[in-house]
Amino acid sequence: MPTLKIDGVEVTVPTPMSILEVARTLGIEVPHYCYHPGLSVVGQCRLCQVEVERMPKLATACNTMVADGMVVWTHSPKVEKARRAVMEFYLLNHPLDCPVCDKGGECPLQDFTLKYGPGESRFAEEKVQRVKHAVLGPHIVFDAERCILCTRCVRFCHEVPQTGELAVFSRGDRSEITLFPGKVLDNAYSGNVIDLCPVGALTSRQYRFQSRPWDLVRHTDSVCPLCSNGCNVILDVRHRQRGEELLRIRPRENQAVNRWWMCDEGRFTFGYFSDSARLRVPTWREGHPTDAAMAHSPLGPRPVAMGFDDLLLRLARGIRRIVEADGPEAVGCVASSRLANEELFLIRRFFRDILGTPHLDFRVRPVQFQASDASEDGLLRRTDKTANRRGARDLGILPGAGGLDVAGMLAAAANGRLKALFLFEEDLVREYPDRPVREALGRLEILVVSNLLPNETSGLAHVVLPALGFAEKEGSFTNFQGRIQKIHRALTPHVASRSLPEVLRDLARDIGRDLGPIEPARVWEAIGEAPGPYQGIAWKDIGPLGLLPEESREPRAKNKEP
Amino acid sequence: MTFEKVLTKYQDIPEYTGTIDEYIAHGGYRALPKALRELQPAEVIEQVKRSGLRGRGGAGFPCGVKWGFIPKDSPKPKYLVCNCDESEPGTFKDRMLIEEDPHQLIEGMIISSYAIGSRLAFLYCRGEFVYGARVLERAIREATLRGYLGKNILGSGFDLDIHLHRGAGAYICGEETGLLESLEGKRGQPRPKPPFPAISGLYRSPTVVNNVETLCNVPHIVLRGADWYIGIGPPKSTGPRLFSVSGHVERPGNYELPMSITLRELIFEHAGGVKNGRRLKAVIPGGSSAPVLTEQHLDVGMDFESLAAAGSMSGSGGVIVMDDTVCMVRVGEIVSRFYHHESCGQCTQCREGTAWLHKVLRRIEHGQGRKEDLDVLLDMCDNMKGKTICVLSDAAAMPIESYLKYFREEFEAHVRERACPFEGKGAF
Repeated sequence: MPTLKIDGVEVTVPTPMSILEVARTLGIEVPHYCYHPGLSVVGQCRLCQVEVERMPKLATACNTMVADGMVVWTHSPKVEKARRAVMEFYLLNHPLDCPVCDKGGECPLQDFTLKYGPGESRFAEEKVQRVKHAVLGPHIVFDAERCILCTRCVRFCHEVPQTGELAVFSRGDRSEITLFPGKVLDNAYSGNVIDLCPVGALTSRQYRFQSRPWDLVRHTDSVCPLCSNGCNVILDVRHRQRGEELLRIRPRENQAVNRWWMCDEGRFTFGYFSDSARLRVPTWREGHPTDAAMAHSPLGPRPVAMGFDDLLLRLARGIRRIVEADGPEAVGCVASSRLANEELFLIRRFFRDILGTPHLDFRVRPVQFQASDASEDGLLRRTDKTANRRGARDLGILPGAGGLDVAGMLAAAANGRLKALFLFEEDLVREYPDRPVREALGRLEILVVSNLLPNETSGLAHVVLPALGFAEKEGSFTNFQGRIQKIHRALTPHVASRSLPEVLRDLARDIGRDLGPIEPARVWEAIGEAPGPYQGIAWKDIGPLGLLPEESREPRAKNKEP
Repeated sequence: MTFEKVLTKYQDIPEYTGTIDEYIAHGGYRALPKALRELQPAEVIEQVKRSGLRGRGGAGFPCGVKWGFIPKDSPKPKYLVCNCDESEPGTFKDRMLIEEDPHQLIEGMIISSYAIGSRLAFLYCRGEFVYGARVLERAIREATLRGYLGKNILGSGFDLDIHLHRGAGAYICGEETGLLESLEGKRGQPRPKPPFPAISGLYRSPTVVNNVETLCNVPHIVLRGADWYIGIGPPKSTGPRLFSVSGHVERPGNYELPMSITLRELIFEHAGGVKNGRRLKAVIPGGSSAPVLTEQHLDVGMDFESLAAAGSMSGSGGVIVMDDTVCMVRVGEIVSRFYHHESCGQCTQCREGTAWLHKVLRRIEHGQGRKEDLDVLLDMCDNMKGKTICVLSDAAAMPIESYLKYFREEFEAHVRERACPFEGKGAF
């Protein structure tokens, strides 16, 4: 175990580490560009040079391993001069137009120049002209003249998705990163090069020029909802005239889940939050032929917007009537595993405990019937494209004794045994193109569909409830590993909206029952008390990197031993 | 005293064309059977170590010591790579060695491979050496047909194949790790060291990279013994050395001499003195990367130590002589243009620095210089030296620094007169 001194601080490191890594653990900043903990070390940017006593030259901290007795200085005059020189060299051919650069304000080149660079340029020559805004792929645009050739993007494409679209071409100051002939930067993880780029060379076609970093009012920790991997993300939000808008999703480092990366689908799919087609107010459609009371409505069989209170009151009345006439088994519920644990728990409480129906299921797609889903590409993407399958399973969103699964519920609807069906964020018409779903749903007395956007299934519904997206709510998802991870509200939901827990609470109230507390933390209290995989886990135990139940229990069990 | 030529003794043989028969007829392939039959690999290494043979490519690293770094217990294959990417401006000795007497190199490569345990050797030949590559190809074929290459060489049980690989025209591929990258089919970019090639070289296996001239010395050391070799030249710079003399001399060419000679002897006795009897102005003693020397240094010894003590280096043995018609700013412009063109571009200081140096020197040469440029140049050189993965950056900076050291007045004149004072009066 080598013991060394960095800037006078003595430190003992257990494993072989580079000077840069040790400095990081000590909180000592050694500026660098080419080094990235997730990529191979190349030692090319030469910015991380530090002084090591008894070494004739400055050493690059990124690829010099620490040794016993080493004395390292990261801010000596020699180091400062070398650093100033590197920063000067960087800026020779780099455009000094930060005010119009998309990276300005969150640019390591800007930051290190300010901190370590010279105040003025001694460069009196003409700058090298290079290609501007070259489109490299569906998501990425490249400004070659801003590039400082750290090659992080090149190494990323070679080493992580292993697609190798990019390479350095030419040499010397003519060196330029570009696509291999015939290639397009369109791998499933291409967006990561935007985060990796330490300058404004690789930018997002989606986010580019949408905001200045200081206009982003919120950077909310969350979890990507687009598959069961649960990549940790940051949601960047800014205020616009029409309200808050989610502008960017970036990965958040979590070594146990997504390391530093995320896939393009997760990164770039969030336009639905501000989609003008989004369902904003609940609607009620009257005129169903089997509903005598509704048939005589002067409004006809068209969905009409209705306040939540009135709508839920009428819905409660309808449900009550069905339960009284045909028993609770006439009601079914399909709850998507896209929903958060807390929502699913309340759904189960409402349908199983309050209404008393055993017909509850989350399994819509074949993959959800398997014990576990599979990795799609050996990296992050998984085949179950819902965030919370594991949570839905753990919380028992499954048929009870004598209960029907989704197919069974559809069959029961078709033969008239099932009278009311709730579909929370599942578009059954689209999911089962080869089954007579339309006909089955058409026979229901009450079809309640909750969704963010209208779809074919919601078109058939009597009651449509606008739902909230993952960025608009608090709660937790359990990823495929069983790791419970929190999502936080980044966007304030539409003023007229009502969250799913609120809807369930009001519906319970309107049929004369109490759902209990609905705030995520309070719901989790109940989850933690109930027997099951989450028993004994407190809300506060779930940190920013999530929590694996088995990890949390082991130390506690050990502590209890005398 | 006339020096007995070792590496270029064929020069004294009339109508020698370097075929295998001629090579054998004049004493070739005698060291190989001796090494394979009489010596253990370790004994060959020991002899080369004792001979004091130092690398002739530029750095002057002791050859036997380099061989000794090859791990004995590595399960990986070991490789010998011959660096024949001779590209240092002012150097043309390896080219002559391969074109005139290719089997000397091949015999050296076989013995060296035997010493380090390599079963596959690579010969990385500069792309521009079209003729040399053809000669080498023929020589490898000849040696294979005679059983000097291939399986069970001379019944010793030792196998070796030599692959000839032609470069694509990059100076940087003469840097040993850049060469290895290129040989692996990658972009020719030097690797950070450590690890050194002896531990992790070609295909991450233990590798020795030796210069052509270095390897050509090996058969002679094996055949005639280390003691004979030590007897040539000063104690720390043993053996014969090829000096490529070019520029303003009466008889430019390659001269094989012991390193005990002085710069004066080399230029005035061997190369016939400065052309047209003009005054000597400057000499670059070890290829374009070497800092310049002037008249005052004429009595410096041409060995590694003496040249280093004089503030320059022995380098690749390329001696460029310049008379008093030469403009040193123009020399700087030309030299820096070369490094600007050849920098691989991976390290910041070199990629940006070589270009900046060239642009500033070009501006000064063309009468656009500013007073402050000279100090900027010096500071730039300081910022480029010793800070990069390989020494190309140093190689670009050191000469310019030395031109400014000895000829600052000339630079100042360019700035003052807003023109080159040599314009129209002579040329480099």
